[in-house]
Amino acid sequence: MGRGGRDTSTESPDAPTSAPATAGALLRRALRRNGRDLGRGYPLLTLWQLSETLVPVVIGLVVDQAVDGGGLGDLAWTLGVLVALFVVLSNGYRYGARFIKQGIEREAHALRVEVAGHVLHPRGARTDRLAGETLSIATSDADLVPMALHQLGYAIASLVAVLVTAAYVLRVDVVLGLLILLGVPAVLVAIQALAPLVARRTARQQESTAAASGLAADLLEGLRPLKGIGGEDVALRRYRVASTRASDDTVAVARSWGYLDGFTTALSGLLLAAVALLAGRRALDGDISLGELIALVGLTQFLAEPLRGLGDVSAQFAASRASAARIVDFLATPRILAPGGRTPSEDRPELVLEDVTAGPLAGLSLHLRNDELVAVAVDDPAVSDALVALLSGDLDLVSGRARLGDVELAELSVAGRRRHLLVVSHHGGITEGTLRTTVDPGGQHDDGALAPALAASAADDVVRLHPDGLDRPVRAGGSSLSGGQRQRLALARALATDRPVIVLQDPTSAVDAVTEQAVAEGVRRLRTGRTTLVLTSSPALLRAADRVLVVREGRVVAQGTHADLLRDADYREAVDR
Amino acid sequence: MSPTPQADQLLPVADGRSTTRVAWRLLRARRGSLALTVTAFLVTGFAGIVPVLMIGRVVDVVRDDGSFTDVLVPVGVMLAAAVVAAVSTTVSTAALARTVAPALAELREEVLDRALHLDSQQLEAAGVGDVLGRVGDDVRRVTESLDEAIPMLLTSVSAIAFTVGGLFTLDWRLGLAGLAAAPGYVLGMRWYLPRSIPFYRAERTAEGARAEVLVTGVRDAPTLRAFGVEDVALERVERRSGDAVAITLDVFRLYTRLGARMNASECVGLVVVLATGYALVSTGSASVGDATAAALFFHRLFNPIGAVLYVFDAAQASGAALARLAGVALIPPRDVAPVDAGPEPVLTLQGVHHAYETGRPVLARIDLTIRPGEHVAVVGATGAGKSTLGGIAAGTLRPTGGRVRLGALDVTTAPEPVVRRHVALVSQEVHVFAGSLRDNLLLARADADDEALWRALETTDAAGWARTLPQGLDTVVGDLGHPLTPAQTQQLALSRVALLDPQVVVLDEATAEAGSSGARELEQAASAVTRGRAALVIAHRLTQARTADRVLVMEDGAVVEEGRHEALLRAGGRYAQLWAAWSDTGEQPVGQA
Repeated sequence: MGRGGRDTSTESPDAPTSAPATAGALLRRALRRNGRDLGRGYPLLTLWQLSETLVPVVIGLVVDQAVDGGGLGDLAWTLGVLVALFVVLSNGYRYGARFIKQGIEREAHALRVEVAGHVLHPRGARTDRLAGETLSIATSDADLVPMALHQLGYAIASLVAVLVTAAYVLRVDVVLGLLILLGVPAVLVAIQALAPLVARRTARQQESTAAASGLAADLLEGLRPLKGIGGEDVALRRYRVASTRASDDTVAVARSWGYLDGFTTALSGLLLAAVALLAGRRALDGDISLGELIALVGLTQFLAEPLRGLGDVSAQFAASRASAARIVDFLATPRILAPGGRTPSEDRPELVLEDVTAGPLAGLSLHLRNDELVAVAVDDPAVSDALVALLSGDLDLVSGRARLGDVELAELSVAGRRRHLLVVSHHGGITEGTLRTTVDPGGQHDDGALAPALAASAADDVVRLHPDGLDRPVRAGGSSLSGGQRQRLALARALATDRPVIVLQDPTSAVDAVTEQAVAEGVRRLRTGRTTLVLTSSPALLRAADRVLVVREGRVVAQGTHADLLRDADYREAVDR
Repeated sequence: MSPTPQADQLLPVADGRSTTRVAWRLLRARRGSLALTVTAFLVTGFAGIVPVLMIGRVVDVVRDDGSFTDVLVPVGVMLAAAVVAAVSTTVSTAALARTVAPALAELREEVLDRALHLDSQQLEAAGVGDVLGRVGDDVRRVTESLDEAIPMLLTSVSAIAFTVGGLFTLDWRLGLAGLAAAPGYVLGMRWYLPRSIPFYRAERTAEGARAEVLVTGVRDAPTLRAFGVEDVALERVERRSGDAVAITLDVFRLYTRLGARMNASECVGLVVVLATGYALVSTGSASVGDATAAALFFHRLFNPIGAVLYVFDAAQASGAALARLAGVALIPPRDVAPVDAGPEPVLTLQGVHHAYETGRPVLARIDLTIRPGEHVAVVGATGAGKSTLGGIAAGTLRPTGGRVRLGALDVTTAPEPVVRRHVALVSQEVHVFAGSLRDNLLLARADADDEALWRALETTDAAGWARTLPQGLDTVVGDLGHPLTPAQTQQLALSRVALLDPQVVVLDEATAEAGSSGARELEQAASAVTRGRAALVIAHRLTQARTADRVLVMEDGAVVEEGRHEALLRAGGRYAQLWAAWSDTGEQPVGQA
């Protein structure tokens, strides 16, 4: 399988995104970028449909030329024509359908990768969607969109079959030909009257289905807290409501499909009766032969299939379109980081905030000089989160300046950020893999190089205590580890990057005081000659810092060493446990 | 790069027979609409062959040089058949959905029900993605194929039955000629089915793996980005998606080869029917109209037979999905025995030991008694086994050995819901459930009124910020609404416990993730919630230990000290060491501590 994310893989992280702006554009792109497969598949499929249509004509030929008083020779050559037709028909479908399927699957794959790539973009995405909902977009919707390619192929093939039928009939009899040429479009137009109903109900059904699976995902994500209070049954009742709604909407869609199919059946039945009546009269009058009569009714009868297909196309297309719209909306959600293109010119830039106002930050200033270990004692977790968000690029400045070296944070390129700065929120999750991939997700270090980071974060025992060592498997979310182990591994992961500037939020909130002291010393030792900012209220870390900034109500109210600050009663009260 | 989950860790998949049993149970419950569905499809099938018979009549009228009025009768019948077919099509489609959609809804609800009630351990080992893939992707797949396959199957089978019957009514020799194609079809299916089934199983597994990497990739995106490895996760998605695509294309290639075999059978059948017709007409034993109708009848079989093959194929694909659903649905529901712990129950742990992996114990023979209203704090270094002890005491974790009792209740063997009536656990993981503040609270007690909700919020000091929310209790909170701080999320978790009003509370470092200064407020909230109840507090903050009735000090899975705060301090052991480190405000420089 080749790489499918053709459009995403070439995009540079700082370039503006080029996702299609409308559902129509997304569908057109699907058509365009699978042109090779579809360009082969569509003609072959049309050839198949055409051959299928011609089967009754050849049956008429056999009856007329051979069965109705012909010789064995006549039988032989007419049956020869029939066999030849089948060879074309069979191969047309076999290869045509394969090419189309290939196009469909590649497109679904490409969309899936694009949806995942949007979330996993270096500049991130603010999608405001639950993980389960995103999963549904990446699977269900990504699969539904390329179905339009399938429908288009069958629509083209059916249309050609109808036209060829009409042409044959026109040649035999003008009135009958016109009946088919005008009757078929009339039937199709009449069917379209019902299509919006189907489309509306389909959209509602897709929505309620996605909501149900989103709810299930959310409940499973909160499984531990849920089980801790025995909330399973209440949660299930809630899911049942959503699931029933989805089921009701599914029935409503089916009912509208029922009208559509019943309508198509009635109209194609009427058309067949009309053709039988008219053709019978012509044959009785001797205007057409028996073989032609058979071919005419046989063709009309066979027309019911492509006709039915064409009738369904627009409703099915609407479903694809609804999915395309959801994907477009998803891909249009904004990036978290601004598309900055600048990199600090110094190798070791300083981190400077001047009079920053943003969210709960009210005129906060800090100057993180090279090689410093600075601790920030914050009175309010919201301020701490805001500071982390600001430095991660997740929160925009209202006023003031925030820069890394000579580059404003808002203009920082992804590469520049990654070379110089690491901001670790204490929400930082543990990903599935092994201890090694947890601590060294980029796979950049050998075991020897990881050892100092593991030791500094007191996480070496997590490795040592397991027979597999660094190859110990880690489940998604680190659910096989204790809270303290997760936190120490997350710290080791941060320290192992060895970036010039590292910002850590509450790195020891889940470890005991003795370990905390070991961590404080470890961080200090390992970050010598590097710049580190720690948001914490842990006395061990505060003491280890060169300087402590005390932040109250969103701005710095005091600074100094921990020992100096302890003389201040307010500070003592703030860090006292 | 990531280890694929062990097959034995995944949730069960049902075998063919059990899957059928589950499907039948669900359908049988909807007998009425099922019967209507089948009847409607049979009528549609019959109405479908009438026009062909009538065309044969028209051909004979023409050959016999009949009058135009003779043509009117068959045409009139065709019109009537068209109307009947239209009505029965409409009825059958709707009746089918009324049968299948609720059945599937019931199935997915059962799956989630069983999944949520599984042992926490078992579910986590299988991975959330596995369950999610089942209630989402698998249900969708089954729905799609049933929506399409059942009508197709029923229409086609009735069309085939009536058409073959029609062939025989024309002339038994023409009927036999039509059957000449049958061996080809049977052989084709026998060639195809054994080859395709493993593909479809592999496809479902590949799609399950794909769902897992998608969900974890989305959830971990911020962390992955911070470390510049989002591309690794994306590559993983791309690879897993590519794997699934490759299998899908392989099986489709197989399917088109089956199609070619079917076409060959059709061709053989048609040639035999026409040749037979030729022979019968030339010996004068059949009319040209009969021969024509026979050929048209046979031609009419192409679509329904193709449809039946398609249905077989779809059944393979959806059968694999259905088996995954049935596998979970067939997990027997835990019967919730009416055991009650009784009033004022005492929690006792006797010789409890535990190992997540054999040979690597994390807890070694612990004995512990907690009397009603007593507060016991557990302290110790990270990794000492505190959370494991908490999980075992709360009954979310089944110990490798030993007993846990709460009054008359055996916690080690009782189903979790029974234990949960008496013991609540607040774990380190916090989650704001999608929905309103009210929705979040009602998870603990569905019948609580607003007054009770506010009281619970007041207990944990959350009422203040809750009142400032734009829509009060109805404010949507969490990722999709009003974001909550870690401290508020924790308060919410504690409020749920207050609402639940259990006899025993296990708090596992409930204040740890709240950030720096919120911790103290949360500590007050926690002590308000534990007031008047027995409590096992996994204390990260040693101040929680100071106020406890008893402190257990754990080291490497064992209790090394036990007693009240003051007594342990005086003893000058491990606890005194921990306390010194904890209460040290750091007046000495690092390195000299």
